[in-house]
Order: sequence, then structure tokens, then C-alpha cells
Amino acid sequence: MSGAQLLKLENVTRSVLMPDDSELHILNGISLSVSEGDHIAIVGRSGTGKSTLLNILGLLDRPTSGNLAWRGQDATRLSARRAAHARGRDLGFVFQQFNLLPGRTALENVMAPLMYATGRDFWRRRTLATEALEKVGLGARLDSMPQTLSGGEQQRVAIARALVRKPRVVLADEPTGALDVTTGRAVMELLDAATLESGAALITITHDINVAALAREQFRLEDGVLKGLAAEVAQ
Amino acid sequence: MNSLGRIFTGFVAALLEAWQELRIHKLRVLLSLIGVTIAVASLTTAVAAAGMAQQLMTEQLERNGRPALITTYAMNERGEQVPSVSPQVTEAFAKTAERFNVEYASMVSRSFGYQVSAQGATLDSEVMIVDPDYAPIHRIFAQHGRWLEAEDAQNLAPAVVVDRTLYQGLGLDQGSFPASVEMNAGNQKITVTVIGATSTKEGGLGGQLWMLPQTYDHWFAASAPLTDASYEMWVPIEGSEVLAAHFGSQMQTELPGYSVQSMRSDYLSWGADESLKQLALAAGGIAGVILLLGSLSLLNVAMVTMKQRIREVGIRRSFGATTGRVFFSVMMESIVATAVAGGLGVLISVAVVTNPKVISLVLGQGIDQMPGFPVGAALTGIGVSIAVGALTGVLPALVAARVRIVDAIRV
Ligand SMILES: Nc1ncnc2c1ncn2[C@@H]1O[C@H](COP(=O)(O)OP(=O)(O)OP(=O)(O)O)[C@@H](O)[C@H]1O
Ligand SMILES: [Mg+2]
Repeated sequence: MSGAQLLKLENVTRSVLMPDDSELHILNGISLSVSEGDHIAIVGRSGTGKSTLLNILGLLDRPTSGNLAWRGQDATRLSARRAAHARGRDLGFVFQQFNLLPGRTALENVMAPLMYATGRDFWRRRTLATEALEKVGLGARLDSMPQTLSGGEQQRVAIARALVRKPRVVLADEPTGALDVTTGRAVMELLDAATLESGAALITITHDINVAALAREQFRLEDGVLKGLAAEVAQ
Repeated sequence: MNSLGRIFTGFVAALLEAWQELRIHKLRVLLSLIGVTIAVASLTTAVAAAGMAQQLMTEQLERNGRPALITTYAMNERGEQVPSVSPQVTEAFAKTAERFNVEYASMVSRSFGYQVSAQGATLDSEVMIVDPDYAPIHRIFAQHGRWLEAEDAQNLAPAVVVDRTLYQGLGLDQGSFPASVEMNAGNQKITVTVIGATSTKEGGLGGQLWMLPQTYDHWFAASAPLTDASYEMWVPIEGSEVLAAHFGSQMQTELPGYSVQSMRSDYLSWGADESLKQLALAAGGIAGVILLLGSLSLLNVAMVTMKQRIREVGIRRSFGATTGRVFFSVMMESIVATAVAGGLGVLISVAVVTNPKVISLVLGQGIDQMPGFPVGAALTGIGVSIAVGALTGVLPALVAARVRIVDAIRV
């Protein structure tokens, strides 16, 4: 029932050079396929490379080796400029620390991605951003500054910002990490429902098994490789 | 079309982003820009003041004759010590001037010790005996009424043009031209017709008035014959020295028994132009140093705050900002800020330079005719501010554009 393939990782590795000239292998051969409508959760202990993987999936970082295809095209050779355009058009990010732009109102934050859009979307940015905020239930807080909003509200602004350009893939790095359990659950349900409605793929990184349970596919990142969680449970 | 549209929206969006950024950091921006405002204000003021002083000085110098001015004398060889004045000399000059196709030529002579009176007021005055071309040669003109014309020689009453001292002192500013005033010629009183007034003013208490040689001959020469005269010509600067020499020797052949001298005598031929340039250079140099210090502090603040903004740049990159766009936005931020600050500096400069109180404070006296604020100085101020913005924007913009997204957003 999955739609068109969006991202395909084959044997992707990522290692970084440490200050003492030794190599740190973070990812050791990841294979993963993401299609439209997929809801994927990746769990793993701290420091296992979850964020590193998400950065690669989000075209923010490049693999050290292996294949990465973005909508059928080799993404390891994508120019920085094209990668930026692809991110703007098709990818949405939600971060653990919300990462709202300080000093800007909720509305300005949601308008910010549309500053990199062209044509109609750019000129209609105020309307589009207002609609997006109304969808996450913040229609009454358009002019609030981030620091006057609660954690859950800030994360909802971030979700509106991630969705405002109607991306095909939404990448969420511990979206509930800074929230209490109930708020976190509400935020997760919102993210789930919104991507279901738009048909976007959702990849969530979390260390909370309950959060992961909402997704239809679950993986565990361990020792730099992905393991299907369902299989693990079946064992 | 599509790519043009993309460039256009990109430009508009970058400007908006820059403006937002400035709005959010109002106080920091304000503080860091004070230096630029002060520097641009002083630079603009230096350029403007130098320009205006130059103009005032040039006008003053040109009162003595515009470049190139050729002055000609004829000395009688019977051993007289002063340049001769006689119909013969005047005729020889006129003839030679015509021969050389000189466009502006005038006899110049003076006669002292006159009293002019009207409406109960009496003022001392000297009389300048000149031809109509004297006005263009000396860059003077009738601000009220009109200047002398050749036809005024035929007037039944003597026609004169007065300077500002007489114009105001005799209450002529209350009425209209022509106006009648009384003048003494020896012991006699003569009624003369004032046809115009200039804006000029001599240094002393007395006034100055101008009349044609024919008028003087007819009404005043009997009681006070002219003692000497010179002849002036205003010619193109190029080739004027050669012209003077040829003119002299040609006029000499018309005047046996005289020795004719003809030479350039305007201020440029004395080479009196350097002091002002040095003054302007010194003032500009000081303003330049202020500007440099202002830019450095601006750059310093920009670099420090850039470090704090690296995370923000990373966030923007994550939703589609290209490195080019990040560079351009930061650059625009700097340029918009300094352009506004510099514009303010220029306004301050205009307010200061054109303020009469400031001028009388600096010069110790008011000046009669205020030259306008030089547009060039204002444009220099704006141009310099934009250049400073661009220069101090490059470094932070480079830093911002080189931010690695992954590092920037790592918690
Ligand atoms: N550029 C880098 N230089 C050095 N070490 C790095 C770099 N990037 C990541 N690492 C290291 O790689 C490991 C994995 O990092 P990553 O941020 O992906 O972990 P994570 O699974 O997201 O952890 P957490 O749950 O705490 O967010 C960490 O030990 C981190 O210190
Ligand atoms: Mg992480």
C-alpha cells in the first residue's frame, strides 16, 4: 500500500575523523527504503548515530560510502544548491529542541521556509502560514514570541513550520524529547495525523518505545546497523 | 522568466530577512551604527564644507576677474608713472580687441571721493568707470534692476549701477528702479539715475557705483579728470598667454609714443589654489580615520553576533536556504543598516552645514550669499556608507555561508 519510493539507502556508512587521527565509525552499512505514506520509527540508545542517520536522510549530510537515492536520483552527487532546493521543497524537519528562530513570532517562524519558495507560495506566505498554524490549533497565538509559548506549543509551531511547504518527507529527531509524557503523546498524534492526511512519509527518531509504537515500521539502531524491531519482538 | 522570477523573489525575500534581522536586534544595530553615522556625518561635512568654501573663494577671486583675464596698460613715454588714459589709447584698445575678435572687453578706471545722497541719507562712494562687459568679466550682475548697456551713453541723465551698500544705505530697497539720487561733481550737485544694484559689497564703509566712460566724460571729467586706466579682456584660458603677447605688440603698433603692456592677471595665473585643496584633504583624511574606526567596530560587533547566529543559519539551511542566499541576506543586512545610518549622517551634516548659526560661529561672521549644500557631498556620504556596509558585510557573510549545517544544529 506504499506509494512511490522517495529515499533509498544501500549499505550507507558514515565515519568521522577524530582529533587524534583515528576514525570513528558511526554508521556501518544502513539499508532502508522510504516511500510515500510510510511511517517509520527508529529507536536506539544515546550516541548510537540516530541523528547522524537522520541528517543523511534529510540531505543535510552525506554518507561516507554506500548509495543514497533521492527520488530515483543519486543523492551522493547532488550539488549543495540542489540539495538545498530539495530540502526546501520536499523535506520538513522537526527537532528535539524545537529550533524556533528567536525573536520572531510564531507566524514569522512558520513563514520563514516560504521565504525560500518562489512564485505563489512566496507571495501567499502569510495566508499559508496562518492556515498551517490554525491546523495545529494555534490560530490564536499567531503573534506570540516562542519564549511565551509552552514546550508543547513551541513544538506545534515547529510542526506547522515543517509542514507549511507540503513536504513529501517529514523527519523528526526526538520530537517529544523535551516534553512531558502527555504533551509528547499529543504532539506525536498531531504529527502522525497531519502526515497521514497529506500523504507525506514520516520518519521519527525516538528512544521512547511508546512513541515508536505509533509508527507502522520500527527499527532499532545498534552498532551502526538497523534491525527490524518487529522481527526482534517475534523472536 | 521562471529563473528571473526566482531571482526577483529571492532578492525581495533576502531584503525582508535582512530587515527582520535588523528589527529584532534594534539596540545592538543602533549602538554599532553610531560610529558609522558620526563618521559619515563628518566626512560629508568635510566634503561639503570644502566644496562650499571653494565655491565662496572662487566667487570672491573671480570678482577680481575670471580666468583668463588679460590686463593691458599703455604708458606714455614722456615719463609718466601711471597708465595713460586718453581717447587715443581707448580707441587703439577697441580697435585691437576687434581685430582679435575678443568677445568681452572693458576699460577700467576709478575715481574717488564722491558723496551720494537720497532720502536724507548720504554715503561716501567711489566711482568705477567701466564698459558693459565689465559685469561678465567680473562675474557680477544686477540683482535688482539691470546692468549698464552701451545705449546708456545716450541717456539725458547719467545712468549708474550701485552696489549693495548704496542700495541698502540709501533706502533704494524701499522703492523701484530707475531711482534718482544726488551726486556731487566737484562743488556741483548732479542728479543721477540708478538703473540697477548688484549683490556685491566692498570691504570698507563706503559704497561703489559703476558708470560708462562716456557718462563720466560728460558729467564728471571736468571737475575730476581720470588719472589712469587699464583695459581688461576675458578670453578662453587656452592660448591666453600667447594672445596677451600678440595683443600687446599689435596694440603697440597702433600707439606710437606709448609703451603697451598686456598680460594675464587672473588668480589662476598666480597659482593661488593649493591651500584649500590641502585643507579639504586634511579634513577628509580625519573623517576617513573616523570611518575606518567606525567600520572596525561595526565589523567586530557583526563577527561576535555572527557566532551566536550560526545555529539560526543552520536552521534556515535545513529548510532550504542555499549558501548563496545566506551570504546575500547577511550582506544585505549590513548594507541596509549602514545605508540607513549613513543617510542619517548625511541629514545631520546638511542640518549642520546649512545652519546660519553654525556658519557664523565657524567663520566668526555671517556670509552674504550661502552656497547650496553640494549634492556631490551628499552622494559621497551615501556611497561611502553603502561601501562600508558591503566591506564589513563580506566577512560575516562568508562565515555564515560556510556554516556546516550538521554542526550548526547539533544540540
Ligand atoms: N562531526 C562529528 N565529529 C565527531 N564525532 C561525531 C560527529 N558527529 C557525530 N559524532 C559522534 O557520533 C556519535 C553519534 O552521534 P549522534 O548525534 O548521531 O547520536 P544520537 O544517536 O543522535 O544520540 P542522542 O540520542 O544523544 O541524540 C556520537 O558519539 C557523537 O559524539
Ligand atoms: Mg541525536
